[in-house]
Amino acid sequence: MATTAAPYPGEGQHRPNIPSATHRLPAVKTYDQIDDEIIATLRPTLGWFALLGIAILCLLGGIATWMYQIHEGLGAAGYQPPVMWGVYIITFVFWVGIGHAGTLISAILYLFRAGFRTSIYRCAEIMTVFAVMTAGLFPILHLGRPWKFFYLIPYPNWRLLWPNPKSPLVWDVFAILTYLTISSTFLYIGLIPDIAVLRDREKNPVRKAIYSALALGWRNSDREWRHFTRAYLFLAAFSTPLVLSVHSVVSFDFAMALTPGWHATIFPPYFVAGAIFSGLGMVFTIIIPIRKFFKLQHYVTLNDLDAAAKMCLFTSMVVGLAYLTEFQVAWMSGNQFEQDYFWNRVFGQWAWAAWIMIICNMILPLSLWSQKLRRNPAWLFILSIFINLGMWFERFVIVVPSLSHEFEPWQWGSYRPTWVDYGILLGSFGWFFMWFLLLIKQLPVMAISELKEVIPPKMKHPHDTTHELDEGFPMPDETGAQH
Amino acid sequence: MQGVIGAFNEIDSTVHAIEDLKKQRFGDITVYTPTPRHELEHAMKHPPSKVRIVTLIFGLAGVTFGYWIPIWMSDYWPLVVGGKPIASWVPFTILGFEVMVLIGGLATVFAMMGFAGIPRLTLTVGYDARFSGGDFGIWIVTPPERADEAMNVLKKHGAAEVRRER
Repeated sequence: MATTAAPYPGEGQHRPNIPSATHRLPAVKTYDQIDDEIIATLRPTLGWFALLGIAILCLLGGIATWMYQIHEGLGAAGYQPPVMWGVYIITFVFWVGIGHAGTLISAILYLFRAGFRTSIYRCAEIMTVFAVMTAGLFPILHLGRPWKFFYLIPYPNWRLLWPNPKSPLVWDVFAILTYLTISSTFLYIGLIPDIAVLRDREKNPVRKAIYSALALGWRNSDREWRHFTRAYLFLAAFSTPLVLSVHSVVSFDFAMALTPGWHATIFPPYFVAGAIFSGLGMVFTIIIPIRKFFKLQHYVTLNDLDAAAKMCLFTSMVVGLAYLTEFQVAWMSGNQFEQDYFWNRVFGQWAWAAWIMIICNMILPLSLWSQKLRRNPAWLFILSIFINLGMWFERFVIVVPSLSHEFEPWQWGSYRPTWVDYGILLGSFGWFFMWFLLLIKQLPVMAISELKEVIPPKMKHPHDTTHELDEGFPMPDETGAQH
Repeated sequence: MQGVIGAFNEIDSTVHAIEDLKKQRFGDITVYTPTPRHELEHAMKHPPSKVRIVTLIFGLAGVTFGYWIPIWMSDYWPLVVGGKPIASWVPFTILGFEVMVLIGGLATVFAMMGFAGIPRLTLTVGYDARFSGGDFGIWIVTPPERADEAMNVLKKHGAAEVRRER
């Protein structure tokens, strides 16, 4: 799939595929081995049923809580003036952020030809689509009358009154819907050749018919690949600025307001870096168990984890710099309200939340300077849980302290989420993991056709220089370590 | 449609067979590969895909439509704020960009499907399930009188299996 994206280096000796050229899977020898091992992950197991059961239980709990909220009104959630945005908006931003890493890994790293994306991008894309789907629920859950959600869609109501296109909430609708559509399309297009593999190997007639319909009659012909690779490249090119725009638009929900702590030009890059960081955290949370329980260590090698961990470290430092810059801007602004707000954030009422954020997002990821820890899947998994927690609290620290500590001291207040907020938060995790678990047992968790690009094809005359691989590249061993 | 189909285990044999078939002026050749390969692409010598033209046209149409929506909405029900333009291009750039990506992206996918000839209802003639697995394939549409010649070329280059199809 990457082939036509790469510049052709001319006649004679050349790389097989540039984006995969620095990626080696020494324990993977043949195309058939890839088919067998990836398709084997589709067999349901007892552990999978157990996890799916837990996810559905959480979802049902969330649905029941939401029904209660609809019946009782939004007062059942923990809102109290002046804090009228709470867990729902925090969780909305959290899930949108999670949804960023998938497109980052599949599109941006594709354009930058980072080979390590090959093994992990399908999982990340699936995560993106379901994370954005989950995020999309929260503006609706946040409404007292959720059945009126369509007021934000540019469609006139019965008075022919249109939504205000200068409102960040309308931009949000456009940005999130576009992102969801393009991410889903990107995922599905990449899946077509892999679904064709499943179709051609499937014996069960019902499943074969379903796969045949989803594969759209794909035959792996040169004509199909020629247009496919080009379309894939353009979708990647569209998705790259889209990734940056979506969380910038989400940040405008805050930055366009005059509230202390929100009205800052740093917000778009700060949000984008945070989104990528949190998305990478969730990628680790998902890919490390998949790698272990599906026995795919020779596909997601330690080199791949190491490279992703470096990216995680980098984004953590960008996020940390943004936290510090916010303080510097408040200090140098001479604005009393900004200064008081930031003092209150770190040493006052919300210090506990701010320090959870700082420890999880700034301090713990510094451990990734150690190569030993970057190549330790157990540590990466533990760290990823802290990153997820820290990034949820980052959004808490953005939303709640600002609203609770605005300009007038008599307006200052507090906020305490109720069981309704927590129930819906838990339900959102149930919703996300239910879809994720269902999909990974129906469709391949790794891109079969792209993995095949990584390994050299069978050759009758392996010393034919026309098809020779680059020499001199350090070849990794079975564990992915380079020598 | 009738012709000859050959399955190959090795990529270099496939490339040599394509080159030989082209030398012998077999025009309508389709190559199957489980994954895109430069070697096959260069042996086939196809012109660049036209998907990019569709992407450009619909991307431009999308950005135009994306600006037009908020301008029309603002003009239809003006919210007058002193000193502020009714149609303000800066915030509308966000909608222009998002609609460009949406329409341009979807048009790219539909163009790919149109040019690649999918969705296709049947796979019957000139395809073998092993081409999505580990083998490469060549399908030559040829009249019966040249079928033997095509089969000989495929066999000469080491095809694992050669057969006529119609």
